[in-house]
Amino acid sequence: MTDEAAVNSVPHGEILMALVQAVHDGGAEAMAVARRAVRVAVGDAAFVDTCATIASFSAVVKIADGAGIPLEDYKEEATRDLRAELSIDDFQS
Amino acid sequence: MTKIEVAGEMLPMRESLAREVEVGWNRLTSPGTWWSGAERLAIAAEARHAKTCKLCQQRKAALSPYTVPGEHDSTSDLPPAAIEAIHRIVTDAGRITEHWILSLIEGGEMPALEETKYVEIIGIIAVLTGLDKLHQGLGLAPRDLPAPIAGEPSRQRPLGAKRNLAYVATLAPEDVGPEDPNPYPLHGDKNIHRGVSLVPQEVFNFFDLDVELYLKDHEIRDFEHDFRAISHAQIELIAGRTSALNGCYY
Repeated sequence: MTDEAAVNSVPHGEILMALVQAVHDGGAEAMAVARRAVRVAVGDAAFVDTCATIASFSAVVKIADGAGIPLEDYKEEATRDLRAELSIDDFQS
Repeated sequence: MTKIEVAGEMLPMRESLAREVEVGWNRLTSPGTWWSGAERLAIAAEARHAKTCKLCQQRKAALSPYTVPGEHDSTSDLPPAAIEAIHRIVTDAGRITEHWILSLIEGGEMPALEETKYVEIIGIIAVLTGLDKLHQGLGLAPRDLPAPIAGEPSRQRPLGAKRNLAYVATLAPEDVGPEDPNPYPLHGDKNIHRGVSLVPQEVFNFFDLDVELYLKDHEIRDFEHDFRAISHAQIELIAGRTSALNGCYY
């Protein structure tokens, strides 16, 4: 499944992704537009939970990278083929 | 549901999320395990300031960030190794190496930073990032840092902690001693829960907030129920894209 197909397979995926991108980029105007679109599409409670999820995954990376934790075995197994295809393990620090 | 005011409009927020946001702020200002409340707030202020640090911007743009020398733009009188740690975790966490962490905690170019203090810095930055990003997403200005709460750090290092999982020492569930705070029964014991377990209170501090921002461990794969106003699929799509943008592949 392509990235675009994955986004489109989730209800309002494109609108949610626009907010994620806008919050990451930090532009005030883009964030305002994206916030309004999410609130219109999914409602205010869902907008708040969307922001909470963005906050969670912006934060947890600090623990993962700051402490240098490895993938669990089950995750490593599940991603073995993909990692081999990308040769991503060559970039371990 | 409770209500929060954003730009003159009242938005609904789960009471449990609103509560843990307040708990998170209170813990940031309180004495920690290795840093005082004033020091924890200085770390938080330094973390916010790091985003405009010119040296960090040069390192972020560099192919080899560890070859770019210079001094950080700093707002605090924290030890140099603490400032280096804060700035790197905030601005370029995805390229942190074990060698860099060891150079901080063993000393060399600058006086050593205790490993426990480094790990507590991670926890403080993680909580602050969660709180600030929530505000940013909602459209609220960053909350002013409050006054510190007086008191001494508890300074209790888990005796069973070992460096055998991550770049820093961690406390395995089977090594938790009777004197150690034990976050694993409540939050789970996956590697991410063990990341800052050298300072067990920091596991509570982060995950008490995070399970309300995201989901409790047992809710993540419970696809029979939706626990939020957005669906599991929507949550995981947001999570995946946010992680990718932050360069997190854990």
